[in-house]
Amino acid sequence: MIPGLVLALQMSEPHDEELAIRLQRRDPEAMRDLYDRFGRMAWSVIVAIVRDSAVAEDLVQETFLRVWNRVHAFNAQRGALGPWLLAIARNRAIDHLRSLSARMDKNAWELDVREHPSLFVDLEREVLNTDHARVLRKAIAGLNANQQKVIELAYYEGLSQTEMAERMGEPLGTVKTWVRSALKHLREQLGQVVTV
Amino acid sequence: MTCEELQQDYTSFALGVADDPEREEILEHLGRNCPSCTAGMASAMSTVTAMSGAVKIVNPPKNLRRRVVAAVEKEPKRSWMAVYAPWLVTAALSAALIAIGISGRRENGRDAGMLRSAMPILNDPASKAMRFGEGDRSVTGRVFVSMDRGVVFIGANLPHLDAGKIFELWVLPVNGKPVPAGIFQGQPDATAVFVRPGPVVNASAIAVTVEPEGGSDQPTTTPFVVTRL
Repeated sequence: MIPGLVLALQMSEPHDEELAIRLQRRDPEAMRDLYDRFGRMAWSVIVAIVRDSAVAEDLVQETFLRVWNRVHAFNAQRGALGPWLLAIARNRAIDHLRSLSARMDKNAWELDVREHPSLFVDLEREVLNTDHARVLRKAIAGLNANQQKVIELAYYEGLSQTEMAERMGEPLGTVKTWVRSALKHLREQLGQVVTV
Repeated sequence: MTCEELQQDYTSFALGVADDPEREEILEHLGRNCPSCTAGMASAMSTVTAMSGAVKIVNPPKNLRRRVVAAVEKEPKRSWMAVYAPWLVTAALSAALIAIGISGRRENGRDAGMLRSAMPILNDPASKAMRFGEGDRSVTGRVFVSMDRGVVFIGANLPHLDAGKIFELWVLPVNGKPVPAGIFQGQPDATAVFVRPGPVVNASAIAVTVEPEGGSDQPTTTPFVVTRL
């Protein structure tokens, strides 16, 4: 995989506050700027998941409209636009896959929770910078084959742990252990400390 | 489950791959604005975002930018009504306060702060406003619910609270158990204004009960207010 280093740098530029305020004022020019900053990354995430350009176009538009329609709840001072938009982009793509495979989203409203702007407050602004991308590649390489597999199934297919267990023919407990240990490893390597 | 027990599943949840019971528990914690889980989720979101850094970057079709921007340019210009709606809503709140006998005394710092925190909810064009109670003696008031921003409860003629008791607000989901949404005291004149900021998840109704001081995980008395959304 080729990481999006240049894009990542663009995404971590500290312009979120001004851009968010313009979006909240319903300025269509702000939408243009939002797309220029995050469109390529959103497209890349979505197309990597759905692998269909026509569908990806619809989902990118849906993603940006969702941001536009919900930005009033976004904390312009402390929120992180890029991570929020990318979460929405990935969720739209996974939701599409689920509907295709008749894995109907049992939690339509759960998406609302996972995408709520309040969860994207005080995120590390540099989360998508070059260092993180490099560390991430190294961290993924440090996972064993089973851990890499479950991370791939989780990120690109959005399979629940139960679905992964069925797909891989492994006990649910084993799969849960792989998922938890893999994510823990990634978190630690990325320097994300879960604060409780 | 405790926040500590859920900690190892925050990132699975953020990825959308957590299973029950952890998934349901995290939703419940987030639904009541649990500060530990909200902070933990922000960290998990960082990890998931960082994972996007491994995606191979490809160029989108050139027409996509125009299509995305055109979608919002079609939005009608905001009318004077939309522009002034926040002030109208604020005026409506004042009218609601006066109508149920809460006026002229909410000038101390705490109440002023609380009303300030109510403004985003009241100013949300998507907010729903419900009234409850009829007549001079029954519990009466208004509930404003913004799914994105929170709940404002304004009540009068509230039940007397014995020592060691408190009011508790509940969000009643479409399915499942009531979700605690905060505790509050009434005023000596049997009125109360309570604001619960933050998203309201999957709500079908708002209820208020009398609970032991400190609040309950589930209602222990019959709600004296239930307003359907």
